[in-house]
Amino acid sequence: MATTEKMSKTTTPTHWDADIPVNYVYTYGLAGEAFFRAIKDRGTFLGTRCDACDITYVPPKAYCDRCLEALDKYIDVGTVGYVDTFTVSFKNMDGSEKPRPRILAMIKIEGTDGGIIHYLDGISIEEVALGLPVQAIFKPKAQRKGGIEDIIGFGPVKR
Amino acid sequence: MIKRVAIVGIGTTGFRPITPDVSYRELIFEAARKAYTDAGIEPSEIGGFITAAEDFLEGYSICDEYCPDQIGAVLKPTQTIPGDFIQALATGYMMIMTGAFKTVAIEAHSKASNVKNIDELMGFAFDPVYNRPLRETPHAIAGLEMTRYMFETCTSAEQCARVVVKNKGNAMRNPYAAFGADIAEKDVLNSDPISLPLHRLDIAPHADGAVVAVLADGETALALSETPIWIEGLGWCTDTPTLEMRDWGEAAYARLAAEMAYKMAGIANPAGMIDFAEINDEYSFKELQHMEALKLCRPGEAGHLLESGATSYAGDIPINVSGGALGVGHLFEASGAHKILELVEQLRGEAGARQIPDVNIGLAQVWRGVPTATGAVAILSNM
Ligand SMILES: [Zn+2]
Repeated sequence: MATTEKMSKTTTPTHWDADIPVNYVYTYGLAGEAFFRAIKDRGTFLGTRCDACDITYVPPKAYCDRCLEALDKYIDVGTVGYVDTFTVSFKNMDGSEKPRPRILAMIKIEGTDGGIIHYLDGISIEEVALGLPVQAIFKPKAQRKGGIEDIIGFGPVKR
Repeated sequence: MIKRVAIVGIGTTGFRPITPDVSYRELIFEAARKAYTDAGIEPSEIGGFITAAEDFLEGYSICDEYCPDQIGAVLKPTQTIPGDFIQALATGYMMIMTGAFKTVAIEAHSKASNVKNIDELMGFAFDPVYNRPLRETPHAIAGLEMTRYMFETCTSAEQCARVVVKNKGNAMRNPYAAFGADIAEKDVLNSDPISLPLHRLDIAPHADGAVVAVLADGETALALSETPIWIEGLGWCTDTPTLEMRDWGEAAYARLAAEMAYKMAGIANPAGMIDFAEINDEYSFKELQHMEALKLCRPGEAGHLLESGATSYAGDIPINVSGGALGVGHLFEASGAHKILELVEQLRGEAGARQIPDVNIGLAQVWRGVPTATGAVAILSNM
């Protein structure tokens, strides 16, 4: 112990309660705005490509993080991908149980090096597997606000 | 020209789940006094000071300003590294190599019990636009990594559970450890599912505590200490913050940090040269994934090596003989400090009931936890 007087009663004052009352806005930036505008208006995903490094960024970046070239050509990468990895999430942030477990997945978008982290929708724990093809399901256009929550989740690919 | 840098003193409070009797600064004070006594040096003689700390973990803005007084650094050259202790150690090493400092003290601590909602805090580290709105816990991100790692390496949930059994068992020999326990694999596999394949016991619980180390240049080290512990290699590295662009199966940050440290230490064959290692096991599977990234075995071999007993206390290459984060407790930015403490005690032959016989070279490796992809490696020797 650092002090010679040790705490002997649990009722003695030992701490002060506090929180951090700070609020933020996070600007989407050029690439973020292009990405969320495409989701909101057209129900599709955009990426940016660095030909020199042979990397397609999804979500798009305004620069290549390998060679640091500016990237300003946005390409429509579609909404189909596959399950790169997944987890079955049981807990809320406060440690409480979710009403039902949700399958969270990293969806690699076809033909790109990136993707989206989101829920699987209409796919059971028994059905999910790495490599499973999936497709994005969006909220109805009128309800989209331009954010990641415009995506309901990823479900089976419609043929 | 400075040739070598050594750790000449180290002090700790030990690690406990809660410390309601002392403030975090009093924890640090205790570790500092012990370190300076161990080094046989007065704080007034120390040239520079470094703290490894992060504002949000402390609950302070500009927490740097709250560090000098309890380590004897008031009105002295002092700074804070917002990273792990091993990253601060690297900075201290470089300060001494400049020749401008003969001695530098490095501090790191955890007062995790001060944070009422740690999952919220770590969740606040997620990308606010792409990831945070889903309100998923950091453990869900670890669950994504675990699934991919197990798939790529054919590692089983039982093998991951066995890491927990080994490390909590090791912790029972470590008086500093907060979470030693004699459990079985089934206890891990039957514990509360958090984000499958992760169960509650796969996740290192948090602990409080502080560590301070004193570094010195070679000449000063030999004058101060009969058992200086030499810094032979250091490396650190950060992958992209974009979760969507990461390789989910491999710990590239650990592989590249280790390559840097091995090169500096002149180690071509890590599995043959490293006598023991303290590596990040904040989640059970991470110990196995990190063993492979550190080239202590080939990808897919770590689980089998564990089952063979090679990584146990009496094995060929003991891993986390201290109990690791699973047994000692997860210590935020002091995670590396606890590992360096273990290396120093083992290499001095002062590790008591958990002393590994005849060790000369130890490796410590850290990861800054979800959602980071930052790793650091230090290699120490007693020769
Ligand atoms: Zn490029």
